[in-house]
Amino acid sequence: MDEFNENEIAKLLRLKRHEQPPPGYFENFLHEFHRRQRDELLCEPLWRILLERAQDFMLRLNVRSLTSYPAAITAVLVCAAVISLKIYQEPGTANVAALQSQPALSTAVNAEGEWTLASPVATRIFRTQPLRNLNESAHTHRAATPPRYVLDSVPVSYEPTFRF
Amino acid sequence: MSQLSDFSRAPEVPFRFRFVLIRRLPVALSLFAAISLVDAQEESATAVSRQVKEVFEHAAKAVVKIHGVDEHCEISGTGFFIDPTGTLYTAYTVGGEAGNFSIEFDGKQYPARQVLADIRSGMAILKTDVATPALPIGKSEELGVATPVVTIGYPLDLPETPNFGMVAGFDRKYLGRYFSTTHLRVNLPTQRGEAGAPLLNMKGEVVGILVSSLENNSSCYAVPIEAAEKIRGDFVRFGEARHGWIGINVSEAAAPTEGSRARMTQIMDGTPAASSGIKAGDILLQVGRKKVHEPEDVLDASFFITAGDTVPITVIRGNEKLTFNVQAETHPASQHPPLIAAPTMNQAIPLKLDSEAQRTP
Repeated sequence: MDEFNENEIAKLLRLKRHEQPPPGYFENFLHEFHRRQRDELLCEPLWRILLERAQDFMLRLNVRSLTSYPAAITAVLVCAAVISLKIYQEPGTANVAALQSQPALSTAVNAEGEWTLASPVATRIFRTQPLRNLNESAHTHRAATPPRYVLDSVPVSYEPTFRF
Repeated sequence: MSQLSDFSRAPEVPFRFRFVLIRRLPVALSLFAAISLVDAQEESATAVSRQVKEVFEHAAKAVVKIHGVDEHCEISGTGFFIDPTGTLYTAYTVGGEAGNFSIEFDGKQYPARQVLADIRSGMAILKTDVATPALPIGKSEELGVATPVVTIGYPLDLPETPNFGMVAGFDRKYLGRYFSTTHLRVNLPTQRGEAGAPLLNMKGEVVGILVSSLENNSSCYAVPIEAAEKIRGDFVRFGEARHGWIGINVSEAAAPTEGSRARMTQIMDGTPAASSGIKAGDILLQVGRKKVHEPEDVLDASFFITAGDTVPITVIRGNEKLTFNVQAETHPASQHPPLIAAPTMNQAIPLKLDSEAQRTP
Protein backbone atom coordinates (compact mmCIF):
# COMPACT_ATOMS: atom_id res chain seq x y z
CA MET A 1 0.00 0.00 0.00
CA ASP A 2 2.99 2.26 0.51
CA GLU A 3 4.04 1.93 -3.09
CA PHE A 4 0.57 2.59 -4.51
CA ASN A 5 -1.12 5.54 -3.01
CA GLU A 6 -4.67 6.39 -3.77
CA ASN A 7 -3.73 8.73 -6.62
CA GLU A 8 -1.79 6.10 -8.45
CA ILE A 9 -4.58 3.56 -8.07
CA ALA A 10 -7.10 6.03 -9.37
CA LYS A 11 -4.83 6.77 -12.35
CA LEU A 12 -4.50 3.04 -13.14
CA LEU A 13 -8.24 2.51 -12.97
CA ARG A 14 -8.82 5.36 -15.29
CA LEU A 15 -6.35 3.97 -17.76
CA LYS A 16 -7.80 0.44 -17.61
CA ARG A 17 -11.34 1.73 -17.94
CA HIS A 18 -10.79 2.37 -21.57
CA GLU A 19 -9.13 -0.95 -22.35
CA GLN A 20 -11.25 -3.40 -24.36
CA PRO A 21 -10.53 -7.06 -25.27
CA PRO A 22 -10.11 -7.83 -28.95
CA PRO A 23 -13.25 -8.70 -30.95
CA GLY A 24 -14.50 -12.30 -30.44
CA TYR A 25 -12.56 -12.66 -27.20
CA PHE A 26 -15.53 -13.72 -25.12
CA GLU A 27 -16.86 -16.04 -27.84
CA ASN A 28 -13.57 -17.93 -27.94
CA PHE A 29 -12.94 -17.79 -24.21
CA LEU A 30 -14.31 -21.27 -23.39
CA HIS A 31 -12.59 -22.91 -26.33
CA GLU A 32 -9.31 -21.23 -25.42
CA PHE A 33 -9.67 -22.34 -21.82
CA HIS A 34 -10.12 -25.98 -22.81
CA ARG A 35 -7.22 -25.83 -25.21
CA ARG A 36 -4.88 -24.55 -22.54
CA GLN A 37 -6.18 -27.14 -20.12
CA ARG A 38 -5.41 -29.92 -22.60
CA ASP A 39 -1.95 -28.52 -23.20
CA GLU A 40 -1.26 -28.64 -19.51
CA LEU A 41 -2.52 -32.21 -19.31
CA LEU A 42 -0.28 -33.34 -22.13
CA CYS A 43 2.70 -32.03 -20.27
CA GLU A 44 1.91 -34.29 -17.28
CA PRO A 45 3.04 -37.97 -17.11
CA LEU A 46 0.54 -40.60 -18.21
CA TRP A 47 0.19 -42.28 -14.83
CA ARG A 48 -0.83 -39.04 -13.21
CA ILE A 49 -3.44 -38.42 -15.86
CA LEU A 50 -4.85 -41.93 -15.38
CA LEU A 51 -4.86 -41.52 -11.64
CA GLU A 52 -6.74 -38.26 -11.88
CA ARG A 53 -9.23 -39.80 -14.30
CA ALA A 54 -9.76 -42.73 -12.00
CA GLN A 55 -10.26 -40.48 -9.01
CA ASP A 56 -12.70 -38.42 -10.98
CA PHE A 57 -14.56 -41.55 -12.11
CA MET A 58 -14.76 -42.95 -8.59
CA LEU A 59 -16.02 -39.66 -7.24
CA ARG A 60 -18.70 -39.53 -9.86
CA LEU A 61 -19.83 -43.08 -9.01
CA ASN A 62 -20.11 -42.26 -5.33
CA VAL A 63 -17.31 -44.60 -4.27
CA ARG A 64 -18.53 -45.03 -0.69
CA SER A 65 -21.42 -47.17 -1.89
CA LEU A 66 -18.97 -49.41 -3.76
CA THR A 67 -16.69 -50.10 -0.84
CA SER A 68 -19.07 -52.61 0.71
CA TYR A 69 -17.91 -56.19 1.41
CA PRO A 70 -19.90 -57.99 -1.32
CA ALA A 71 -18.69 -55.53 -3.92
CA ALA A 72 -15.09 -56.12 -2.90
CA ILE A 73 -15.55 -59.89 -3.01
CA THR A 74 -17.11 -59.68 -6.44
CA ALA A 75 -14.24 -57.58 -7.71
CA VAL A 76 -11.69 -60.07 -6.33
CA LEU A 77 -13.52 -63.01 -7.89
CA VAL A 78 -13.69 -61.33 -11.26
CA CYS A 79 -9.97 -60.59 -11.14
CA ALA A 80 -9.20 -64.19 -10.10
CA ALA A 81 -11.33 -65.56 -12.92
CA VAL A 82 -9.61 -63.37 -15.48
CA ILE A 83 -6.15 -64.30 -14.21
CA SER A 84 -6.89 -68.03 -14.08
CA LEU A 85 -8.29 -67.95 -17.60
CA LYS A 86 -5.07 -66.37 -18.76
CA ILE A 87 -2.98 -68.97 -16.93
CA TYR A 88 -4.88 -72.01 -18.26
CA GLN A 89 -4.98 -70.79 -21.82
CA GLU A 90 -1.28 -70.31 -22.30
CA PRO A 91 0.03 -73.87 -21.51
CA GLY A 92 -2.72 -75.38 -23.65
CA THR A 93 -1.34 -73.61 -26.64
CA ALA A 94 2.12 -74.85 -25.76
CA ASN A 95 0.90 -78.45 -25.56
CA VAL A 96 -0.66 -78.32 -28.97
CA ALA A 97 2.56 -77.06 -30.37
CA ALA A 98 4.48 -79.81 -28.60
CA LEU A 99 2.17 -82.54 -29.86
CA GLN A 100 2.40 -81.30 -33.40
CA SER A 101 6.14 -81.35 -33.24
CA GLN A 102 6.32 -84.93 -31.91
CA PRO A 103 6.86 -87.71 -34.41
CA ALA A 104 4.57 -90.76 -34.58
CA LEU A 105 6.03 -92.44 -31.58
CA SER A 106 4.15 -95.50 -30.52
CA THR A 107 3.81 -97.11 -33.90
CA ALA A 108 6.05 -99.95 -34.98
CA VAL A 109 8.88 -98.97 -37.25
CA ASN A 110 8.17 -101.83 -39.60
CA ALA A 111 5.00 -101.08 -41.57
CA GLU A 112 4.17 -104.79 -41.77
CA GLY A 113 4.30 -105.06 -38.04
CA GLU A 114 1.20 -102.96 -37.50
CA TRP A 115 -1.05 -104.21 -34.75
CA THR A 116 -3.92 -106.27 -36.08
CA LEU A 117 -5.97 -108.78 -34.22
CA ALA A 118 -5.53 -111.27 -37.04
CA SER A 119 -1.79 -111.32 -37.09
CA PRO A 120 -0.18 -113.84 -34.75
CA VAL A 121 1.86 -112.24 -32.06
CA ALA A 122 4.89 -114.40 -32.66
CA THR A 123 5.49 -113.05 -36.16
CA ARG A 124 5.42 -109.41 -35.20
CA ILE A 125 8.65 -107.79 -34.28
CA PHE A 126 8.30 -104.63 -32.27
CA ARG A 127 10.93 -102.01 -32.25
CA THR A 128 9.38 -99.57 -29.88
CA GLN A 129 10.78 -96.10 -29.89
CA PRO A 130 10.77 -94.13 -26.68
CA LEU A 131 8.19 -91.40 -26.59
CA ARG A 132 10.80 -88.94 -25.47
CA ASN A 133 13.94 -88.70 -23.50
CA LEU A 134 12.92 -87.48 -20.08
CA ASN A 135 16.15 -85.65 -19.60
CA GLU A 136 15.44 -83.50 -22.61
CA SER A 137 12.03 -82.04 -22.31
CA ALA A 138 9.79 -83.89 -19.93
CA HIS A 139 9.09 -80.88 -17.81
CA THR A 140 8.45 -78.47 -20.63
CA HIS A 141 5.89 -80.78 -22.25
CA ARG A 142 3.98 -81.51 -19.06
CA ALA A 143 0.43 -80.28 -18.83
CA ALA A 144 -0.36 -77.36 -16.61
CA THR A 145 -2.65 -79.35 -14.34
CA PRO A 146 -0.81 -82.02 -12.36
CA PRO A 147 -1.92 -85.63 -12.89
CA ARG A 148 -3.97 -87.51 -10.34
CA TYR A 149 -1.47 -89.50 -8.30
CA VAL A 150 -3.21 -92.77 -7.60
CA LEU A 151 -3.50 -94.45 -4.24
CA ASP A 152 -7.08 -94.94 -3.18
CA SER A 153 -8.10 -95.24 0.42
CA VAL A 154 -10.41 -98.21 -0.20
CA PRO A 155 -9.95 -101.40 -2.22
CA VAL A 156 -11.76 -101.51 -5.56
CA SER A 157 -13.95 -104.55 -4.92
CA TYR A 158 -15.54 -106.52 -2.15
CA GLU A 159 -17.25 -109.89 -1.89
CA PRO A 160 -20.97 -109.77 -1.20
CA THR A 161 -21.26 -112.93 0.92
CA PHE A 162 -19.50 -116.15 1.78
CA ARG A 163 -20.29 -118.00 -1.39
CA PHE A 164 -18.22 -119.88 -3.86
CA MET B 1 58.27 -124.04 52.17
CA SER B 2 58.02 -120.85 53.99
CA GLN B 3 58.60 -119.03 50.70
CA LEU B 4 55.92 -121.16 49.01
CA SER B 5 53.46 -120.42 51.74
CA ASP B 6 54.31 -116.77 51.32
CA PHE B 7 53.60 -116.93 47.60
CA SER B 8 50.41 -118.94 48.00
CA ARG B 9 49.02 -116.39 50.35
CA ALA B 10 46.99 -113.83 48.48
CA PRO B 11 48.08 -110.27 48.90
CA GLU B 12 45.85 -108.61 51.36
CA VAL B 13 43.60 -105.94 49.96
CA PRO B 14 42.79 -103.15 52.28
CA PHE B 15 39.22 -103.30 53.52
CA ARG B 16 38.49 -99.78 52.36
CA PHE B 17 39.67 -100.55 48.80
CA ARG B 18 37.61 -103.74 48.68
CA PHE B 19 34.54 -101.80 49.78
CA VAL B 20 35.02 -99.24 47.00
CA LEU B 21 35.60 -102.01 44.45
CA ILE B 22 32.41 -103.81 45.43
CA ARG B 23 30.43 -100.60 45.23
CA ARG B 24 31.81 -99.55 41.83
CA LEU B 25 31.72 -102.93 40.16
CA PRO B 26 27.95 -103.00 39.44
CA VAL B 27 28.13 -99.46 38.11
CA ALA B 28 30.97 -100.40 35.78
CA LEU B 29 29.17 -103.54 34.64
CA SER B 30 25.98 -101.60 34.00
CA LEU B 31 27.91 -99.03 32.01
CA PHE B 32 29.59 -101.75 30.00
CA ALA B 33 26.26 -103.45 29.33
CA ALA B 34 24.67 -100.16 28.26
CA ILE B 35 27.52 -99.41 25.87
CA SER B 36 27.29 -102.93 24.44
CA LEU B 37 23.54 -102.56 24.01
CA VAL B 38 23.88 -99.25 22.21
CA ASP B 39 26.56 -100.72 19.97
CA ALA B 40 24.37 -103.73 19.24
CA GLN B 41 21.41 -101.48 18.42
CA GLU B 42 23.53 -99.36 16.13
CA GLU B 43 24.86 -102.46 14.42
CA SER B 44 21.32 -103.80 14.06
CA ALA B 45 20.05 -100.53 12.63
CA THR B 46 22.97 -100.38 10.25
CA ALA B 47 22.32 -103.96 9.16
CA VAL B 48 18.64 -103.23 8.47
CA SER B 49 19.55 -100.06 6.61
CA ARG B 50 22.09 -101.97 4.55
CA GLN B 51 19.55 -104.66 3.72
CA VAL B 52 16.93 -102.12 2.65
CA LYS B 53 19.51 -100.34 0.54
CA GLU B 54 20.51 -103.60 -1.14
CA VAL B 55 16.90 -104.47 -1.92
CA PHE B 56 16.31 -100.98 -3.27
CA GLU B 57 19.42 -101.03 -5.45
CA HIS B 58 18.53 -104.41 -6.92
CA ALA B 59 14.83 -103.82 -7.45
CA ALA B 60 14.51 -100.14 -8.30
CA LYS B 61 15.40 -100.60 -11.97
CA ALA B 62 12.42 -102.88 -12.49
CA VAL B 63 9.98 -100.42 -10.90
CA VAL B 64 8.49 -97.84 -13.24
CA LYS B 65 6.23 -94.85 -13.18
CA ILE B 66 3.03 -95.32 -15.17
CA HIS B 67 1.17 -92.49 -16.87
CA GLY B 68 -2.32 -92.89 -18.23
CA VAL B 69 -5.41 -90.93 -19.05
CA ASP B 70 -8.78 -91.83 -17.60
CA GLU B 71 -12.12 -90.21 -18.31
CA HIS B 72 -11.31 -87.31 -16.01
CA CYS B 73 -7.67 -86.44 -16.26
CA GLU B 74 -4.12 -87.72 -16.50
CA ILE B 75 -3.20 -90.25 -13.82
CA SER B 76 0.12 -91.37 -12.43
CA GLY B 77 0.95 -94.56 -10.55
CA THR B 78 3.58 -97.23 -10.11
CA GLY B 79 4.18 -100.64 -11.66
CA PHE B 80 6.93 -103.24 -11.89
CA PHE B 81 8.25 -105.66 -14.47
CA ILE B 82 7.71 -109.34 -13.87
CA ASP B 83 9.46 -110.69 -16.95
CA PRO B 84 12.20 -109.50 -19.28
CA THR B 85 9.82 -108.79 -22.16
CA GLY B 86 8.18 -105.78 -20.60
CA THR B 87 5.16 -107.29 -18.84
CA LEU B 88 4.34 -105.37 -15.72
CA TYR B 89 1.95 -105.60 -12.81
CA THR B 90 0.15 -102.64 -11.35
CA ALA B 91 -2.98 -101.88 -9.35
CA TYR B 92 -6.40 -101.88 -10.99
CA THR B 93 -6.81 -98.25 -9.95
CA VAL B 94 -3.82 -97.38 -12.14
CA GLY B 95 -4.09 -99.73 -15.10
CA GLY B 96 -7.71 -100.83 -14.92
CA GLU B 97 -9.86 -98.06 -16.28
CA ALA B 98 -7.43 -95.68 -17.92
CA GLY B 99 -5.87 -95.72 -21.37
CA ASN B 100 -3.12 -94.14 -23.43
CA PHE B 101 -0.51 -95.61 -21.10
CA SER B 102 3.14 -94.77 -21.07
CA ILE B 103 5.89 -95.76 -18.67
CA GLU B 104 9.04 -94.03 -17.55
CA PHE B 105 11.84 -96.53 -17.74
CA ASP B 106 15.57 -96.02 -17.84
CA GLY B 107 15.21 -92.28 -18.27
CA LYS B 108 12.90 -92.58 -21.25
CA GLN B 109 9.19 -92.78 -21.81
CA TYR B 110 7.73 -95.78 -23.64
CA PRO B 111 4.18 -96.49 -24.74
CA ALA B 112 2.40 -99.33 -22.95
CA ARG B 113 -0.90 -101.12 -23.44
CA GLN B 114 -3.30 -102.84 -21.13
CA VAL B 115 -3.22 -106.60 -21.39
CA LEU B 116 -5.66 -107.48 -18.63
CA ALA B 117 -7.48 -105.78 -15.79
CA ASP B 118 -9.20 -107.68 -13.03
CA ILE B 119 -11.30 -105.68 -10.64
CA ARG B 120 -11.94 -108.64 -8.35
CA SER B 121 -8.29 -109.01 -7.46
CA GLY B 122 -7.55 -105.29 -7.84
CA MET B 123 -4.66 -105.71 -10.23
CA ALA B 124 -3.91 -105.03 -13.87
CA ILE B 125 -1.28 -106.20 -16.33
CA LEU B 126 0.34 -103.82 -18.81
CA LYS B 127 2.88 -104.52 -21.51
CA THR B 128 5.54 -102.50 -23.22
CA ASP B 129 7.65 -103.81 -26.08
CA VAL B 130 11.10 -103.35 -24.72
CA ALA B 131 13.62 -105.57 -22.98
CA THR B 132 13.42 -104.97 -19.27
CA PRO B 133 14.73 -106.22 -15.96
CA ALA B 134 12.26 -108.25 -13.90
CA LEU B 135 11.59 -108.76 -10.23
CA PRO B 136 11.63 -112.32 -8.90
CA ILE B 137 8.31 -113.62 -7.58
CA GLY B 138 8.27 -114.63 -3.91
CA LYS B 139 5.71 -116.24 -1.64
CA SER B 140 3.47 -114.15 0.57
CA GLU B 141 2.60 -117.35 2.46
CA GLU B 142 6.06 -117.23 3.99
CA LEU B 143 5.38 -113.85 5.56
CA GLY B 144 4.28 -113.52 9.15
CA VAL B 145 3.16 -110.67 11.32
CA ALA B 146 6.10 -108.32 11.96
CA THR B 147 8.05 -109.62 8.98
CA PRO B 148 10.01 -106.67 7.54
CA VAL B 149 9.13 -105.64 4.00
CA VAL B 150 10.16 -102.94 1.54
CA THR B 151 8.25 -101.17 -1.16
CA ILE B 152 9.48 -98.96 -3.98
CA GLY B 153 7.12 -96.44 -5.49
CA TYR B 154 6.83 -93.14 -7.26
CA PRO B 155 5.05 -90.76 -4.89
CA LEU B 156 3.64 -87.63 -6.51
CA ASP B 157 6.13 -86.34 -9.08
CA LEU B 158 9.13 -87.53 -7.10
CA PRO B 159 11.69 -90.14 -8.17
CA GLU B 160 11.62 -93.78 -7.05
CA THR B 161 11.40 -93.94 -3.29
CA PRO B 162 11.97 -96.87 -0.93
CA ASN B 163 9.77 -97.42 2.09
CA PHE B 164 10.45 -99.80 4.90
CA GLY B 165 7.88 -101.37 7.20
CA MET B 166 6.50 -104.60 8.46
CA VAL B 167 3.55 -106.87 7.90
CA ALA B 168 0.85 -105.85 10.35
CA GLY B 169 -1.76 -108.45 9.56
CA PHE B 170 -3.58 -110.66 7.10
CA ASP B 171 -7.04 -109.22 6.69
CA ARG B 172 -10.10 -110.59 5.00
CA LYS B 173 -12.31 -107.63 5.73
CA TYR B 174 -11.98 -103.91 6.17
CA LEU B 175 -14.65 -101.66 7.66
CA GLY B 176 -17.11 -104.53 7.71
CA ARG B 177 -16.70 -105.53 4.05
CA TYR B 178 -14.94 -108.63 2.82
CA PHE B 179 -12.08 -108.71 0.34
CA SER B 180 -12.05 -111.20 -2.50
CA THR B 181 -9.01 -112.82 -0.94
CA THR B 182 -6.83 -112.22 2.10
CA HIS B 183 -4.97 -108.92 1.82
CA LEU B 184 -1.66 -108.07 3.45
CA ARG B 185 -1.91 -105.09 5.79
CA VAL B 186 1.49 -103.45 5.92
CA ASN B 187 2.64 -100.77 8.32
CA LEU B 188 4.69 -98.59 6.06
CA PRO B 189 4.04 -95.01 5.03
CA THR B 190 2.57 -94.51 1.59
CA GLN B 191 1.79 -91.53 -0.57
CA ARG B 192 -0.36 -90.85 -3.60
CA GLY B 193 1.18 -92.23 -6.75
CA GLU B 194 2.40 -95.42 -5.14
CA ALA B 195 -0.58 -97.59 -6.10
CA GLY B 196 0.76 -100.60 -7.98
CA ALA B 197 4.13 -100.56 -6.25
CA PRO B 198 5.72 -103.92 -5.46
CA LEU B 199 5.83 -105.17 -1.91
CA LEU B 200 9.19 -106.89 -1.50
CA ASN B 201 10.57 -109.20 1.13
CA MET B 202 14.11 -108.69 2.34
CA LYS B 203 15.37 -111.02 -0.38
CA GLY B 204 14.06 -108.61 -2.98
CA GLU B 205 11.24 -110.92 -4.12
CA VAL B 206 7.78 -109.57 -4.85
CA VAL B 207 5.24 -110.74 -2.31
CA GLY B 208 2.42 -108.30 -3.02
CA ILE B 209 1.09 -105.32 -4.96
CA LEU B 210 0.11 -102.11 -3.17
CA VAL B 211 -3.54 -101.42 -3.90
CA SER B 212 -4.83 -99.00 -1.28
CA SER B 213 -3.82 -96.96 1.71
CA LEU B 214 -5.34 -96.84 5.15
CA GLU B 215 -6.09 -93.76 7.19
CA ASN B 216 -3.41 -91.06 7.23
CA ASN B 217 -1.40 -93.05 4.70
CA SER B 218 0.49 -94.62 7.58
CA SER B 219 -0.17 -98.12 6.32
CA CYS B 220 -1.55 -99.84 3.26
CA TYR B 221 -3.10 -102.95 1.80
CA ALA B 222 -1.36 -105.19 -0.69
CA VAL B 223 -2.82 -107.96 -2.80
CA PRO B 224 -0.74 -111.11 -2.26
CA ILE B 225 1.37 -111.96 -5.27
CA GLU B 226 -0.23 -115.42 -5.48
CA ALA B 227 -3.53 -113.72 -6.38
CA ALA B 228 -1.86 -111.78 -9.18
CA GLU B 229 -0.11 -114.90 -10.41
CA LYS B 230 -3.41 -116.76 -10.43
CA ILE B 231 -4.88 -114.11 -12.70
CA ARG B 232 -1.82 -114.17 -14.94
CA GLY B 233 -2.03 -117.97 -15.07
CA ASP B 234 -5.66 -117.71 -16.17
CA PHE B 235 -4.67 -115.29 -18.87
CA VAL B 236 -1.93 -117.53 -20.15
CA ARG B 237 -4.30 -120.49 -20.26
CA PHE B 238 -7.49 -118.87 -21.48
CA GLY B 239 -6.72 -115.32 -22.53
CA GLU B 240 -8.81 -113.92 -19.70
CA ALA B 241 -9.25 -113.99 -15.94
CA ARG B 242 -11.52 -116.92 -15.14
CA HIS B 243 -12.88 -116.77 -11.65
CA GLY B 244 -14.57 -120.02 -10.74
CA TRP B 245 -17.94 -120.64 -9.15
CA ILE B 246 -19.59 -123.67 -7.59
CA GLY B 247 -22.85 -122.14 -6.36
CA ILE B 248 -22.88 -122.63 -2.59
CA ASN B 249 -23.68 -120.17 0.18
CA VAL B 250 -21.93 -120.71 3.48
CA SER B 251 -22.66 -119.38 6.95
CA GLU B 252 -21.39 -119.97 10.46
CA ALA B 253 -22.56 -123.08 12.28
CA ALA B 254 -23.42 -122.96 15.96
CA ALA B 255 -20.82 -125.58 16.87
CA PRO B 256 -17.76 -126.82 15.03
CA THR B 257 -17.78 -130.21 13.36
CA GLU B 258 -14.42 -131.81 12.62
CA GLY B 259 -12.90 -128.38 13.30
CA SER B 260 -15.09 -126.53 10.81
CA ARG B 261 -17.86 -124.00 11.43
CA ALA B 262 -18.62 -123.50 7.72
CA ARG B 263 -22.13 -124.82 7.13
CA MET B 264 -23.62 -124.83 3.67
CA THR B 265 -26.90 -122.97 3.83
CA GLN B 266 -27.96 -122.83 0.20
CA ILE B 267 -27.20 -124.79 -2.94
CA MET B 268 -28.14 -122.51 -5.80
CA ASP B 269 -30.24 -123.81 -8.66
CA GLY B 270 -28.61 -124.15 -12.03
CA THR B 271 -25.10 -124.17 -10.62
CA PRO B 272 -22.53 -126.96 -10.63
CA ALA B 273 -23.24 -127.60 -6.94
CA ALA B 274 -26.90 -128.36 -7.63
CA SER B 275 -26.09 -131.44 -9.65
CA SER B 276 -23.09 -132.51 -7.62
CA GLY B 277 -24.89 -134.18 -4.73
CA ILE B 278 -23.84 -131.58 -2.15
CA LYS B 279 -26.73 -130.67 0.17
CA ALA B 280 -27.62 -127.74 2.34
CA GLY B 281 -26.60 -128.49 5.91
CA ASP B 282 -23.37 -130.21 4.98
CA ILE B 283 -20.33 -128.93 6.83
CA LEU B 284 -17.56 -127.81 4.50
CA LEU B 285 -14.14 -129.20 5.36
CA GLN B 286 -12.00 -128.60 2.29
CA VAL B 287 -12.10 -126.91 -1.13
CA GLY B 288 -9.31 -128.12 -3.38
CA ARG B 289 -6.18 -128.00 -1.26
CA LYS B 290 -7.57 -125.31 1.03
CA LYS B 291 -8.85 -126.53 4.39
CA VAL B 292 -11.86 -124.67 5.74
CA HIS B 293 -12.37 -123.90 9.42
CA GLU B 294 -14.48 -120.74 9.33
CA PRO B 295 -16.87 -119.35 6.72
CA GLU B 296 -14.26 -116.66 5.95
CA ASP B 297 -11.91 -119.36 4.71
CA VAL B 298 -14.25 -119.73 1.75
CA LEU B 299 -13.00 -116.37 0.39
CA ASP B 300 -9.49 -117.62 -0.35
CA ALA B 301 -10.76 -121.00 -1.48
CA SER B 302 -13.19 -119.33 -3.85
CA PHE B 303 -10.70 -116.85 -5.27
CA PHE B 304 -8.30 -119.53 -6.42
CA ILE B 305 -10.94 -121.62 -8.19
CA THR B 306 -10.63 -121.40 -11.96
CA ALA B 307 -13.70 -121.79 -14.11
CA GLY B 308 -13.51 -125.04 -16.05
CA ASP B 309 -11.34 -126.83 -13.53
CA THR B 310 -12.63 -129.74 -11.45
CA VAL B 311 -12.52 -128.93 -7.75
CA PRO B 312 -12.68 -131.63 -5.08
CA ILE B 313 -14.96 -130.50 -2.25
CA THR B 314 -14.90 -132.41 1.01
CA VAL B 315 -17.87 -132.16 3.37
CA ILE B 316 -19.16 -133.97 6.41
CA ARG B 317 -22.78 -135.06 6.48
CA GLY B 318 -23.81 -136.56 9.75
CA ASN B 319 -20.88 -138.80 10.58
CA GLU B 320 -19.93 -139.43 7.00
CA LYS B 321 -17.11 -137.61 5.22
CA LEU B 322 -17.80 -137.18 1.51
CA THR B 323 -15.77 -135.78 -1.36
CA PHE B 324 -17.43 -134.42 -4.51
CA ASN B 325 -15.61 -133.49 -7.66
CA VAL B 326 -17.33 -130.46 -9.10
CA GLN B 327 -16.48 -128.69 -12.32
CA ALA B 328 -16.47 -124.95 -11.64
CA GLU B 329 -18.32 -122.48 -13.83
CA THR B 330 -17.57 -118.84 -14.46
CA HIS B 331 -18.17 -116.67 -11.40
CA PRO B 332 -21.22 -114.40 -11.69
CA ALA B 333 -18.96 -111.39 -11.18
CA SER B 334 -17.02 -112.37 -14.30
CA GLN B 335 -19.98 -113.08 -16.55
CA HIS B 336 -19.83 -109.70 -18.23
CA PRO B 337 -17.53 -109.41 -21.27
CA PRO B 338 -13.97 -110.19 -20.27
CA LEU B 339 -11.90 -107.31 -19.05
CA ILE B 340 -9.28 -107.72 -21.69
CA ALA B 341 -7.94 -104.90 -23.72
CA ALA B 342 -5.96 -105.24 -26.91
CA PRO B 343 -4.71 -108.76 -27.52
CA THR B 344 -6.89 -111.65 -28.54
CA MET B 345 -6.72 -115.08 -27.00
CA ASN B 346 -3.26 -116.53 -26.70
CA GLN B 347 -1.64 -113.36 -27.95
CA ALA B 348 -0.31 -112.71 -24.65
CA ILE B 349 2.26 -112.50 -22.06
CA PRO B 350 5.22 -114.71 -22.64
CA LEU B 351 5.29 -117.38 -20.01
CA LYS B 352 7.77 -116.99 -17.26
CA LEU B 353 9.20 -120.44 -17.17
CA ASP B 354 10.04 -120.57 -13.50
CA SER B 355 6.52 -119.70 -12.31
CA GLU B 356 3.72 -122.12 -12.96
CA ALA B 357 0.20 -121.00 -13.57
CA GLN B 358 -1.98 -121.39 -10.50
CA ARG B 359 -4.78 -123.81 -11.01
CA THR B 360 -7.14 -124.85 -8.31
CA PRO B 361 -6.26 -124.42 -4.66
